[in-house]
Amino acid sequence: MIYQILDWIDRRLPLSRAKAHCDIPCGIYDPIIAQIAALTVVRMIDLMKDLEGREAVSKLDYHNSMSRYIAIKEEHAEKAKQEIRVIWGDYIKPQHLETYPHLHEVVHKIMGLGSKVRQTTDRQTAEQFVEAINEFAQIFWETKGIATKRARAPYAPNLELVYPVLE
Amino acid sequence: MIRLLRVRGQSLTPQIEDGDFVLTLKLPIFFSLQAGDLIVFRKAPYGVLIKQVEHVDQQGCVYWVRGSHPASIDSRAFGVVHAREVLGKVVACFSKS
Repeated sequence: MIYQILDWIDRRLPLSRAKAHCDIPCGIYDPIIAQIAALTVVRMIDLMKDLEGREAVSKLDYHNSMSRYIAIKEEHAEKAKQEIRVIWGDYIKPQHLETYPHLHEVVHKIMGLGSKVRQTTDRQTAEQFVEAINEFAQIFWETKGIATKRARAPYAPNLELVYPVLE
Repeated sequence: MIRLLRVRGQSLTPQIEDGDFVLTLKLPIFFSLQAGDLIVFRKAPYGVLIKQVEHVDQQGCVYWVRGSHPASIDSRAFGVVHAREVLGKVVACFSKS
């Protein structure tokens, strides 16, 4: 009886939550996987363009390397999208959207760019893909009350990524 | 201070189930905790958590907490809970069943 009354109240005036957290099914979320995957897409485009400009490569080696770069580009573009979908679906809650009402647009932009980088070899689009995921990462860490910083990735293509500032 | 909260998660199953309500109390004086008590506390970056006290270090005013679920995120993951982080002790639980 008391439970039903409290439940009725909670539905109208939501009470504070106390989390009895578990790894299962709560999960561990971190957008860095998506950020690195997007960075890999840019790297693959660079390698593809570099290979195209080479003359002293046999036809066989050219096709072998090019097909590998394309496959990795495909794989990592999808991986980045999947990681963002999981965080968006499992972690993001309505209260986050109250603070970040444009979050759905950011996610939708990532999905669109993730498809475009698979269809094309446009580096600028791939850079936009990285930046859109950076924007998502910044919001994600803000929802946890963790400050962020921008720093160049210590590996090619050395684009800026958003990192959490952890003590 | 009295708080009424709703529990989310399964780390205290079967003692407390997901969706149960708990009433917590924290008094400015005569407030002590012992092993077995359920407490609500604030732990960054997790937020407000509810766990069971497993061990009390009176000298350091810190508590080692555990969940009953094997996959619980507790002191094994984030270390001890300091007295200043404790929001209250659970004095009543209201379950659906």
